Amino acid sequence: MATPANAIKVPKPQPGAYNPNRPAGLLLRSQTLHIREALLKHLEEIAAVLAIDPKTLKTEGDVSAYVHRATAILHTHAAKPKTR
Amino acid sequence: MPAGLDNLKHIVVLMMENRSFDHMLGGLSLVVENGAKKYPKINGLTGNESNPDTAGNAVKVQPNSQFQSQLDPDPDHHFPGVDLQIFGGTPPGPGRVANMQGFVKDYFTQTNDVNRSHNIMYYFTPDKLPVLTTLATEFAVFNGWFSSIPGPTICNRAFAHYGTSFGQVGMDIFYTLDPILSSYERMIQAGHTAKIYYYDQQSSTMEIVNILKNQPQIFATYSQFIADCQNNLLPDYSFIEPCYNDHPGADGGEILASDQHPDHNVQEGERFIASVYNAIRTNPALWGNTVLLIVYDEHGGIYDHVVPPACTPDGYSATPADTGTGETFNFDRLGVRVPAVLVSPYIPKGTVVPGTEDPANGRIFEHASIPSTVTNFFLNGNANRTAREKNASTFVDLLSGPMRPDSDIPYFNLGGN
Repeated sequence: MATPANAIKVPKPQPGAYNPNRPAGLLLRSQTLHIREALLKHLEEIAAVLAIDPKTLKTEGDVSAYVHRATAILHTHAAKPKTR
Repeated sequence: MPAGLDNLKHIVVLMMENRSFDHMLGGLSLVVENGAKKYPKINGLTGNESNPDTAGNAVKVQPNSQFQSQLDPDPDHHFPGVDLQIFGGTPPGPGRVANMQGFVKDYFTQTNDVNRSHNIMYYFTPDKLPVLTTLATEFAVFNGWFSSIPGPTICNRAFAHYGTSFGQVGMDIFYTLDPILSSYERMIQAGHTAKIYYYDQQSSTMEIVNILKNQPQIFATYSQFIADCQNNLLPDYSFIEPCYNDHPGADGGEILASDQHPDHNVQEGERFIASVYNAIRTNPALWGNTVLLIVYDEHGGIYDHVVPPACTPDGYSATPADTGTGETFNFDRLGVRVPAVLVSPYIPKGTVVPGTEDPANGRIFEHASIPSTVTNFFLNGNANRTAREKNASTFVDLLSGPMRPDSDIPYFNLGGN
């Protein structure tokens, strides 16, 4: 769609607004704790899969369950469904 | 059924950060045209509202808000601080009355500077916020949308996803409790589609651990939102998170925080809101069947004049140790009022949804209104929900008019300065 002539112009911030050295506030510091907590789940899952000795897998069903768990960790986005 | 509801297929929610209604939209009440108030139904500022400072002086609201560098340090918005802001310093106990007189005193505890503590009473003139004020006056603005808890971000955002914070009033890590599922899980289990779009991986999500940990499939980035809009792949329900920090882009460029959390640049947030709006507005296949809610998670410690009302409790309690006020909190009253704007071509121009200022017709909204609306509209209310969510007002009935012509609908030009 072409920009309509009566479009409302939205200004950009002034140069110098960007400041990645701004001290992180409480919200952002809390975010890191929440993300870290979520990461622990993956560690637990990785540890659980590594604890399985592949030599103990006898059937195709055993192998498929193992490979499924490992692949899901390695390719976290592989199972991502289409948006619709 | 009105045409707007008949055609509705997508609900999109954009939740910004930490600004009060009066700070962002209160100035609309002071706009005069031809000798009369231009927006008489908006419950904004008269210009005479004030708070006492620690020196005993009355500090009036002032139209001095700047885009950045004024609210540093970050105003207090944790439970005890908000309690001081709402009750003016009267300690918890029977019969105390909310008066919204403690904002300046509380900001003094951050600044230790009497003059700087006055900044908490500043508001934006509408010309400084062309996006938010245009959408508020062209579509629907809520006079009575309140944060769910008189407290900080994480617990308030939990209400937007679950209709409860499971008893939490702070920022700690916490876990959800069965049988309440997030609105995304409810939707997906019922065969619908739902997504949380965070800005990018450097910004990530502010949503609570349970969602991030257990439902990675519901997340995508903002660039995917834009692509999904362009390709007509928008989910039934979308929740958008702005950028929460300044960081380098993949091409080495500058990406500014767009969440408007103090002390992030408010203009960048305006541009982000406009970008979300334009993505829907410019696709004719979406525009007529999508409703966009723009709402702020909480007030961020910034002044608002409306006393938060009571609400249906959600069945949980926060202990005196959790609240930090010495008093148990039963989730039976709301937090401070926040800006909320609803956009759809089926909303009559200039709709103002009355709030507490109109006891006969006023409607109270809060963040539990979001899962309540999504669950009622898409799932006919079929989900385990708190009494709080079941009783929360829903908003899609505001799509009550005929579809407005394109020539009557604003568009934002993000091209440059």
